[in-house]
Amino acid sequence: MSIELILALTTGAALFGVGIYGALSQTNLVMIMMGVELILAGAMVNLVAFWRFLHPDTAAGQMFVLIVMTVMAIEMAVGFGVAIARFRSRGSVEMEEAVELKG
Amino acid sequence: MTAQMFFIGFFGISAIWFGVVVFRTFSMVRSALALLFSQTALGAMFLAMQAEFLGVLQIMMMATEMSIMAIFMVMFMMDPGGMGTMDMTHQKRLSLWAGFVSFVGGVAIAVFVDWGPIAAIAPDAAQQTIDLGLEILGRSMLIFEMAGLTILTAMIAATAISIPELKGKQQ
Repeated sequence: MSIELILALTTGAALFGVGIYGALSQTNLVMIMMGVELILAGAMVNLVAFWRFLHPDTAAGQMFVLIVMTVMAIEMAVGFGVAIARFRSRGSVEMEEAVELKG
Repeated sequence: MTAQMFFIGFFGISAIWFGVVVFRTFSMVRSALALLFSQTALGAMFLAMQAEFLGVLQIMMMATEMSIMAIFMVMFMMDPGGMGTMDMTHQKRLSLWAGFVSFVGGVAIAVFVDWGPIAAIAPDAAQQTIDLGLEILGRSMLIFEMAGLTILTAMIAATAISIPELKGKQQ
């Protein structure tokens, strides 16, 4: 068993846990997006660790990291689009005030 | 302890610490900067794991992304400087438990799963870039094209929902 692999996977798990806490506990849309960024960062650490310590001979692991980075960029773009629309209509991006969107 | 182990541990702890600071500070600008430092520490961790291309890409991309995020924070927050120590959280106990259970579950998987043989060496940086280029333009080309198309769609969608609604017909 490799200590380096365990260290990297533990870092990924910790970032995932902190991200889950942030995404669930924050009331501001931008702060919720920060939590989601940390969750995705935790996934990225795991992917790089799997590539380096288990399969360094294939580039599929690195390719998967590029896809996660794409997801991060998309999440930011759409999240800020929603934030601008919400701020324009209600003057706030507080998600506590968006309960009527539940229908 | 090898140098690689030390740097993976050091940058890993730094990334986690700054990740926690994101939700501990009242200042939103500090939150955005803490997230920037967390992501930069992750980029340095990638470099320690010999993924040079991904490490540099992570640092460059996150520096840009978090700068934009800091600007949006100042625009949208009622108290961006955090002077009023306003509490902007809810369901704290549930969130703490969910985060803790996720962490413990992840660590348990990391420790108790048999990961098989560990690779001692990684290809050098030039070979990695060649391999990644061949992967992108070969087996994973459709996935990469779809990622590009999805970013384009997201850009158009983000612009469409953020432009103001027109009042009445324009002649």
